[in-house]
Parts: sequence; C-alpha cells; structure tokens
Amino acid sequence: MSGLLEADVLVAGGGMAGAIAALAARRAGRAVALVRRSPGATALSSGAVSVAPDLGALAGEPLASRRPPLEAAARLAAARPDHPYAVVGTARLGEALAFACEELAAALAPFDDRRRFLATLYGSAVGAGLCQRANVAGDLLSVRGLLAVAGFAGHAGFDARLVAGGLGRYVARGGPEPRAVEVALPAGLGALARPHELAGALDAPGAAEALGDALRAALPAGARAALLPPVLGLDPGARAVERVAARAGVPVAETLSDVPSVPGLRLWRALEARLAAAGVRVVQGELAAAPAPGEPVRAGDAMIQAPVWILATGRFVGGGIARRGVLAEPALRLAVQAAEGREAGVHLAVRPAASLTSRDRRRPQPLLSAGLRVDHALRPLDERGRPVHPGLHAAGAVLGGHEQATDGTGLGVAILTGYLAGLAAAEGR
Amino acid sequence: MARPGALAYLAWRALVAHPLKRLFKWRGTGLDRFRAAYVAEGLAPAEPARRAAAEAASACISCGLCETGCDLATATPVVRALGLHAAFRLYSRTTMDLALAGDALERCAGCAGCEALCPTRVPIARVLAALRGGGVGPGRGGRPG
Repeated sequence: MSGLLEADVLVAGGGMAGAIAALAARRAGRAVALVRRSPGATALSSGAVSVAPDLGALAGEPLASRRPPLEAAARLAAARPDHPYAVVGTARLGEALAFACEELAAALAPFDDRRRFLATLYGSAVGAGLCQRANVAGDLLSVRGLLAVAGFAGHAGFDARLVAGGLGRYVARGGPEPRAVEVALPAGLGALARPHELAGALDAPGAAEALGDALRAALPAGARAALLPPVLGLDPGARAVERVAARAGVPVAETLSDVPSVPGLRLWRALEARLAAAGVRVVQGELAAAPAPGEPVRAGDAMIQAPVWILATGRFVGGGIARRGVLAEPALRLAVQAAEGREAGVHLAVRPAASLTSRDRRRPQPLLSAGLRVDHALRPLDERGRPVHPGLHAAGAVLGGHEQATDGTGLGVAILTGYLAGLAAAEGR
Repeated sequence: MARPGALAYLAWRALVAHPLKRLFKWRGTGLDRFRAAYVAEGLAPAEPARRAAAEAASACISCGLCETGCDLATATPVVRALGLHAAFRLYSRTTMDLALAGDALERCAGCAGCEALCPTRVPIARVLAALRGGGVGPGRGGRPG
C-alpha cells in the first residue's frame, strides 16, 4: 500500500462526466485524483454524443428543420423542470461542449452547434449534437448525391443492404441516395475477426490504405461518400478513417455502433490518454465506504485525501446507483430520488424498484430517471433539500431527472454537469 | 351396478394401496426423483454454489466489453468470433442452449483479462469455473445428467 495521496479535487468515476470534471478542474490549475473501477457506460457509446432531442419535431419533417442542439436543450430544460439541464441551466452548455471537443479532439469532431444525422447499423438516422471524427462524413445532410454503403465480404456484423434500405426512407427528407456495395477485405484482415480486432488491425501501417484501395475499386460511379461498418480504427491517433478516405478518393465515415462498440472503446481510449496527458492522477479501484470530503478515503491500494469530491459514478451500469430491493447510492449513502409525473422525492425511491416501472414502455419510466437530486451548484441534496456537504459535487448519470440511456441527453448531461462540477470544485478549493 | 364398484376400487387405491406403496417402495432420493422428472427437459438441479454463480452472472448486461480483453487464441475462428461472453448470453436463456458454448468454455485459458473490464462487476472467472464444474466444458459436451 502506498502512502497518502493528497489532491485538491477527488473525482470518483472515469466515464465522460468524471473525465470532463477532472480535466476542467485540472485546467483551472488544481491537483486532481480520479478513481475509477473499470470502463463505465461511456465505453458503450455508439459514437454519437446525444445532447438534446428536438422535442417538437414531427415524424416525416425534413431533417434540416430539426432544431440545433443548444436551442433544443434550452427548450427541453423549459419543459422538464427536474432535468439536469433545467437544474443547472443551459447557458454554458455550448462552452462545455466546446471544451469537451477540444480536450478530446483525438476522437470527437469540433462542436459547431449543428445537428448531424448519423446512420445506425439498422439503417435509421440519429440526430446527434456531437459525433466522433469517424462519423462526420456520414452526416446525411452533408452528402449530396450517391452514398455508397459498403459492407465487407464475409463480415457478419454489418448488413450493407439493410442499412442502405433503411436510409432510403430519408431520401424524401433531404438524405442522400444510398446504394449497397460489397468490399473484399484485403489480405490480413479476417472477416471473422471480432470488431475490435478488425479495428486494431486497420490501425497498422498499410492496412487502412489497402482497405481504401479495395473500397475505391468497389465504389459505384458517382459516389460522393462511403459509409462503412463501425470498425475504422481503435486508436484515435492512428487516423484510420482519414487514411482509408485518402486512398478511396471520397469522404469516408462509419455508421454508429451496437455493443461491443469500437467507437465506444475509441472514446474511452481518448479519455484515458487525455487524462494522462493532462496530469490527472488516475487510481484504479473503488471508493470503499467513503466518509466525507476532506477525510482520507481508501481507493484500491491507495489512500486519498482531498477537500472537494466530485461523484461521477454513473447510474446502474456504472454502479453509482444500485438496486438492492430499493434504490441506493452505495458510496456515500446519499438520498436517491425518483419522480413519477408531478410527484417526486425520496419516498418514491424507497419503494421496491419494480414498482417504479410503467407497463407502457413509451411513457416515462420513474426507475430509469432515479438518481441524486442536486442544487444549481451540483451539490447533492439530502431528504430535506439541503446540501449534504459544501465540498461534495455530483455529475453525470448519477444525477436523477433524466433517462440517460434513452432520452437523448445522456452524454450531453455528462459533459455539461462534469464541466460545471469541475469548475465549481476548482473554485471551492 | 358398476358405479359403486368403481368408486370402491378408487377409494381402495387412494386410501390403502397407494399410501402403502409410498411407505414400502423405495423410489430414490429427492434428487433422484428431480432428475428423473426434469433432466430430460434440460433443467439440471442447482447446488447452492452453482446458484450463487448464476445470480452473480445475472448482472451481465451483454455489453461485450470483456471480449476486448479475451484472446480465446486456441479456439476455432467461428468460436472466437462468437466469443466467450456468448456463454453468458446462452446461460441467461436455458441450460440446454449452454451446451453450444461448451467449446468456447473449453478454450478459455483462464487469463482473467476480462474481469477488470466488466462494468457491472460480474466475477467472470468464478462463473466460468461453476459452468465447467456444472456439466458444460471439456469432455462433457454440455449434456445434462
């Protein structure tokens, strides 16, 4: 066991919210320690960074008529007072998103407050506020003319005809004309390789170039861009997408992914690399029965002492909220709140978790939006609505009030609340 | 009249013959009787250790992150492509389907590279040991009984 590690800010959780909080506090000049157990839900990301859906949009409207992310987030905050966007306000959302894109520039495309329509593996389009560099050229609104959807011969994880067929539905709404083609994988890239293996192999010198040549040979005449399976490189620094595109002669993008997700792993790698480069002390482990900010706490093999803590432990996948009959916050035993319609409070969270679901799956599910309630400075509140501790902040999916996996605001909330919690923690020190 | 005769016969069976048979004819232990009735349907009896492993495995969300730390180097290409966590997905369905993952389980080198990657803290090595001990894996072909 090592000695006592002293820091200005302790961040618990290494997903998007925790990493952005650590980087924001680090940029403000604080010494930051980050404790994380394993890759969290951020490593399951599809590649799209959902900021805010356009709640007023109608099915069938032209894609270009959807509201841009910042305006959609402001409207969502006005409509849903419990949502983290409403609690902390969306005034600094643009600043937070730009910060995240700058810090994670290896993986994420720059933020320009435009909604990009990205194809999924199943041929539907997702309107994302941010996306990875590997997705940019596949924005359905940016391709004018023919979009080649290229599958790999023998690769079972991607059905080009399914994707092209699905994207055909968007032609009338301003999307490009899709056409499925098949590309023979160059020697050395096995079609039966698992997605992350294929992606890793493409990072190697020469492999992406060989795929680009094969793609060029398979492209139909007049193709303006090519959409490939989500396996275009695992290492954000290897720039596999750009290398494939340079040889293919057209802009190249990948679709969004299902799990196990190469884009998610790429995003996770970019987070890890940035944390190391920024000088954040990353500790592998788990906060064990944490007392309160300011007191030494054990994490893995280390003892850490910091006057300000940021809890970014995630929701159910990350383990920030546990379901043990009833809902609980395991690290600090904070009060978990759930909301059902207009009724909200800790009394709902002490009910059996199974009673917090609704049979109609299109209705809001109280269980899925349960989490911590915080004030405008992201300090968790106790049962009576008072901050638990002046030096304790929370960010990301551990916050209640949003269905982070399904309501289209998950990573946007992680970035905004992570950024604000990091700044607040840096000031509070 | 056949009816009183039939009723008397049924009463004799229910009240005298059957209880006497239950008393004096040995039909095996409860476990034997469970096996006789259910094993053909793929329901193997669960010992406490195995049941604990099943509960631990139920935290699996099939995200596949463990696959990225799993080599499965000696498996055939098709088994590798399916991956070891296919065993978990099959496990969550029925023990009958689990036999399909026998080959993958057999090829697991026990490197434990997967466990640190699991976001929901499934004790993967312990679950695999229970699966192998419970009728799936080397030489057993996964068939119960």
